[in-house]
Amino acid sequence: MKLSSVCQSLLILTLFSDSTTLALDWPMFRGPDHDGISRETEWKKQWPESGPITLWEAQVGIGFSSVSVADGCALTLGHQDDQDTLYALDSLTGAVKWQHSYPSKLGAKFYEGGPGSTPTIDGGRVYSISKWGDLFCLEASTGKVIWQRQLEKEEGLTLPDWGFNGSPLILGDKLILNIGGAGMTLDKSSGKTLWLSNQEAGGYSTPLPFVMGNTQLIALSNETHFTGVEVETGTQRWEIKWPTRYGVNAADPIILGDEIWIGSGYGKGHGLFRIQGGEVSEIWTNRELRAQQNAPVLIKDHLYGFDGDGGSRAALKCIERSTGKVAWEADSFKYGALSAAGDHLIILSAQGELITAPASPSSFEPLSRAQILDGKCWIVPVLANGLLYARNSQGHLVCVDLRP
Amino acid sequence: MKTRRQFLHHGLHASLLLGMPPYLLGAKKSAQYRTALIGCGWWGMNILREAIAAGRSQVVGLCDVYQRPLEASLDEVQQLTGSSPRLYRDYEEMLEKEKPEVVIVATPDHWHALPCIKAMELGAHVFVEKPTSHTIGESQAMLQVARATGRTVQVGLHRRIGPHHVSGMAFLRSGKLGRIGLVKMFVTSSGTGPEEPTPHTKEPRGMDWDRWCGPAPWRPYCRRLTPGGWRNFLDYANGTLGDWGVHWIDQMLWWSPEPYPKTVFSTGGRPILGPPVSDPDRGSTTDAPDTQMVTFGFESFTAIWEHRKYAGNPQENHRIGAYFYGTEGIFHMGWRDGWTFYPRKASESTVHQEPSFDHVEDGHNLTLLWQDFIDAIDQARPPVADIAPAHRSSLLPMLGMISHRLGRSLNWDGQTESILGDSEAKSLMRRAYRQPWTYPSLQSKTSSNQPSP
Ligand SMILES: NC(=O)c1ccc[n+]([C@@H]2O[C@H](COP(=O)([O-])OP(=O)(O)OC[C@H]3O[C@@H](n4cnc5c(N)ncnc54)[C@H](O)[C@@H]3O)[C@@H](O)[C@H]2O)c1
Repeated sequence: MKLSSVCQSLLILTLFSDSTTLALDWPMFRGPDHDGISRETEWKKQWPESGPITLWEAQVGIGFSSVSVADGCALTLGHQDDQDTLYALDSLTGAVKWQHSYPSKLGAKFYEGGPGSTPTIDGGRVYSISKWGDLFCLEASTGKVIWQRQLEKEEGLTLPDWGFNGSPLILGDKLILNIGGAGMTLDKSSGKTLWLSNQEAGGYSTPLPFVMGNTQLIALSNETHFTGVEVETGTQRWEIKWPTRYGVNAADPIILGDEIWIGSGYGKGHGLFRIQGGEVSEIWTNRELRAQQNAPVLIKDHLYGFDGDGGSRAALKCIERSTGKVAWEADSFKYGALSAAGDHLIILSAQGELITAPASPSSFEPLSRAQILDGKCWIVPVLANGLLYARNSQGHLVCVDLRP
Repeated sequence: MKTRRQFLHHGLHASLLLGMPPYLLGAKKSAQYRTALIGCGWWGMNILREAIAAGRSQVVGLCDVYQRPLEASLDEVQQLTGSSPRLYRDYEEMLEKEKPEVVIVATPDHWHALPCIKAMELGAHVFVEKPTSHTIGESQAMLQVARATGRTVQVGLHRRIGPHHVSGMAFLRSGKLGRIGLVKMFVTSSGTGPEEPTPHTKEPRGMDWDRWCGPAPWRPYCRRLTPGGWRNFLDYANGTLGDWGVHWIDQMLWWSPEPYPKTVFSTGGRPILGPPVSDPDRGSTTDAPDTQMVTFGFESFTAIWEHRKYAGNPQENHRIGAYFYGTEGIFHMGWRDGWTFYPRKASESTVHQEPSFDHVEDGHNLTLLWQDFIDAIDQARPPVADIAPAHRSSLLPMLGMISHRLGRSLNWDGQTESILGDSEAKSLMRRAYRQPWTYPSLQSKTSSNQPSP
């Protein structure tokens, strides 16, 4: 497939968000529909005792960057020897197509550190941001830098405690980041700032696009709130107060109609709110899904996700969206991360076990299990074109063949 | 002069003897104490949660110099109790306005003394975190005010009440270990070096950094300092010895037939983390030792503290705790590994006790410690981790750090609490506070306006 056709289709998808799939690519964090769910349905959910085949492995350096995949290219970030590296790997073979390194710090504050955002591919270009505000736009085919900025210094920003970890969002000709207290947008072709909310520390979520009335908005977090912001002007339309102990609102919100789900860890919990006009009203809140890092997936009116903080006890839970009530929980997990494809969950346990299971509110019944990684696995597994990409915090990346 | 505590104590005793009607005792037990928290960080909220769960506290005020934990704590208190305590940045203002009867102090160590003393002077009972203070003179003043005001002061040494500590102590006292000649207390962890400086940055929005530093030296903010990281900056705490050491030293002193050592000598440094850095361009590293050995010489035994932040302890079963060496074997008092007695004779078998925590993840027994605090107030008796023994335990890390700084051994007179024959060392028992704060004075509670030494 030609690159230009991919970028055109992605452009159409992001602009109109309709469900005609062309590529089964995963061009950014949380996937093409920003919901953690792949549109793929024909993939291998069950495998023999010996496990699925690992096609290739790579070492990409320390970090919590997930993988994005488009046009035969798998991208992720890692840290090694005082520099971050953006790797563009052949999605089928793992061969390095190109790589781009720049000096950086590890930032290991109470954890391994390293980059936490995932690169975004759009229109033949890759957008990538470091913990410290190094923003790059590169040519997807060659890795040539088209423009670059150092946002922290240039904009006089306050870094969040754990640096910038939200991923870039492209909407039309705008590049949108969770930077400043209520986001910022740049012109994606030149890198020029269009608007910056303020110089305060942002949150750790990735901007989530949605439409309210006829207005294009994004929802994002800062240290104490989730907020809805007009993309064109940067005007804040509503906010939900959501204070957490360490100012960590990391899980992306989920929007369905006029309802928004939000949640965080460190004991906080989650909630469903209704937004009408600029008014926010609570539908329910509880502590059943303390989503510390990754948001759950919403499938047919139920949320599936991890409750608890990385490094401590956690449970996989299924929660009824309309009431917030727990449908089931599986507490054999010591944390983990998940995505979904169609109506099936793809779970990566904290210890590197890959588990598939139908997303069903009646019970948790794993279909298959395989130990595909070791170490600390807090990073969402990604399915694209039948290939499953998963990595641990030390940078061991595997590509597992789940093609039917 | 009789202190108020003694009056209360005797008063209660008398009424018990006279057969105080049980319903009166019952009525007293259900009293709600107006409770305030100073320092709404990790541990402060751990304690406040216990206070709320115990059902004897009405939370009337929360104080922190940083808006974020303050708001998160308010959010949680609202969820837990349905009521909204008022928020304060200045603890004096809170104490004066809210007039709490019970105050929890869970600030960093350099900020323990002044709020505790103020709270006691205004009539509150105090639950203060370990170690009692950062320098010796502060802890002395806290003890003196506690006694002068007759307030109950519980120090957060929950290992004085944790079930396996209590049963372990009974085992030690049973004599099964024979004669004990050596106690070795230790904490080991894994790590590498050298430590990278953390760049100096503007403090987070909503943090009053000047007030956070308060009476201690001001230094440029870097992210390693908060939350919690201040433990390894000697301006605000006493490193691993002050943080972890006090728990195990307290276990040793709880057992010890002598209340204090006669000599203290420390060696160590930062062979792995490297020399401390504080540089406008490069930023700051911590400055506490990554390696430290302190010998406490008692008359009848020797106690040693050891910590290492590298290599772990793979050759042994335990990486943290206190070994008691007796003629009949070795007793290990641990944390998540409970306690274990390793008999000297091969024919005898190991004795082991698993721990039982009130909170498994944080591995603490704050539920029990809080309940004991409330009971102690109700019954006007000393709590299990009363300020007097906690003060003695807290002094040893501080003495260790003075020896560490000077590189020489100290002679300690625990009776008068003074360092003998070393005026330089003696001067380090106190320090000048940064303006406008005044180092707590020992003479009387009204003289806290006197200049610092
Ligand atoms: N007993 C135990 O096992 C145990 C365990 C952990 C901590 N602790 C103790 O608890 C205390 C707090 O430790 P932590 O880990 O929660 O630290 P932390 O850094 O998480 O919290 C300290 C809080 O105090 C606030 N603070 C600083 N100066 C203040 C002032 N003047 N007034 C009000 N608030 C102020 C800070 O902003 C911060 O929110 C320490 O003394 C520590 O030794 C004890």
